Amino acid sequence: MTALLILSPLIMLAALGAVWKARPVHAGLLLALTLSLAGMLYIALGAEFLGLVQFMVYVGAVAVLIVFALLITRPRDEIEEIARRPKSVGPGLLCTLPLLATLLYTVDRTLPEAPPGTADLPVRRIGELLFTTHAPAVLAVAILLTAVMLGAALFAREPSKKP
Amino acid sequence: MKTLIAQAAEPSLWSPEWLPLLPKRLVENLLEHFNAPGWLVSIGGIAAGAATVLAVFMTAFALLSLIERKTLARAQNRIGPNRAGPFGILQPVADGIKMLTKEDIVPAKAEKLLHLLAPILIVIPAIMALGVLPYGREWTPVPLELGLLFFFALGALTEVSVFIAGWASGSKFPMLGAMRAISQMVSYELPLVLSAIAVIMVSGTLSLPEIVAHQGGYHLGFLPAWHILTPWGLVGGLVFFIASIGEANRCPFDLPEGESEIVAGHMTEYSGFKYALFFMGEYLGLFAISGLGVTLFLGGWQAPFPGLGFVPSWIWFFAKLAAVIFLFLWIRATFPRLRMDQLMRFGWLALIPMSLLTIPAAGIWTLLHRAGHGLIAWVVTIALLVVPFVIMTVLFNRGLARSNRTYRFAES
Repeated sequence: MTALLILSPLIMLAALGAVWKARPVHAGLLLALTLSLAGMLYIALGAEFLGLVQFMVYVGAVAVLIVFALLITRPRDEIEEIARRPKSVGPGLLCTLPLLATLLYTVDRTLPEAPPGTADLPVRRIGELLFTTHAPAVLAVAILLTAVMLGAALFAREPSKKP
Repeated sequence: MKTLIAQAAEPSLWSPEWLPLLPKRLVENLLEHFNAPGWLVSIGGIAAGAATVLAVFMTAFALLSLIERKTLARAQNRIGPNRAGPFGILQPVADGIKMLTKEDIVPAKAEKLLHLLAPILIVIPAIMALGVLPYGREWTPVPLELGLLFFFALGALTEVSVFIAGWASGSKFPMLGAMRAISQMVSYELPLVLSAIAVIMVSGTLSLPEIVAHQGGYHLGFLPAWHILTPWGLVGGLVFFIASIGEANRCPFDLPEGESEIVAGHMTEYSGFKYALFFMGEYLGLFAISGLGVTLFLGGWQAPFPGLGFVPSWIWFFAKLAAVIFLFLWIRATFPRLRMDQLMRFGWLALIPMSLLTIPAAGIWTLLHRAGHGLIAWVVTIALLVVPFVIMTVLFNRGLARSNRTYRFAES
């Protein structure tokens, strides 16, 4: 509980910073901080496997790639982005507040009904569940990610020059 | 409970097997003697244990920086550092004093906070990674159940800190170096993790002490049951060690710091103690990743021959670590630096396919061994690994012969 109380405000601050920072690279680094703090929260709450995977996948690969991609964007976009910001606050809040309310409502309603015995799940059991009961879902996600990667490669490819 | 374990497992305070744990137990006993509260005793023990690991590896770091220069010098028919002390043995001390007394320069265009943060962030994960390795039968500083995963999760932090170093310097060579370093680390982390997966499959655990315990015993009475002495383990181990050279940014994969190309990569704008921290982080990372390779494939602290059980197990670990690191020095002295496209092609077209092949090989190996067909397991896994390797090598060479390197960005 202490960990939750300490880490969740930090996570929120980092996330707000990620949205609010003017320079995209700062925002990207703060996103990495948000993700790693969330990983620490998982570890503190007893989900070590999830926390470490969060570090490996989200901090090590996703956040680094995001920051990397941001580097290549032109600084002009940055200035436009800063000029556009005050106007985007209202619509942004309008969109996110209902979502937040729905989330809070659902989480509040479903949380106490979590099945007993899921608190202390050994890694072996997680692996068995993923590759037996939930194997179709894992495969579907794998195919989806491959498709996304192919799509990204298609977009990133230089358009062939016409003679 | 705690005293029970201590009584059961403590033959003598001064036995060589327990020697590395001596500081920890001395501190604990001392605190208990003065009736310190339980939490203080455990914190004191943890601090003393961490201090032992740090002392060992800081000494090793200082020695390695000298041994590396000496070895390279001998390989190039030179003498190497020989002015400070006999045989230059005080050279690390001289280097340290020089580093500490140099001016700390922060470029005007740098991001001050991030520029300061990067060298710290690069040393912390390296030190943390050293904490989970099993150095001896009784000496694992932090025996984590998910040790292997923890190790790879820390590797992710290194990437971020290299990026921060490159970007916060606000200059072009660090930026280029960081871009090279990240693309290299992301590409070479894949074969590293994939070849470790084969080990996880066979030993059925993510805990590093248990992986070492799984490699105990001998085949036919003399051949140690290390993973590298199996077909899938040989391939996986070779891939792992090659990829770990790439992950540690060492020659021939030292493009991120190629002196003749981009000064010193992400470390260009660092001086004084911050530069020393980068240097230290790099060497500690090298120790950590070679130590992980020793743990996963070379049997960790297991003795190489039966009948050598009287030697303390941690001596075997450090002997193997020294051998691996000497191999890395030898490679550095032998091979020239690769080009960026060669590096990427080697990583994606050679290392990753081979490491992917070790996974089915390890699966078949386990299943056949469980069914009691040891000999068939050898034949099948060797065939599974050698045939694609030969085909790949032929295709690879043909592709290399045909491709004519064009300098896309230099010409236009």
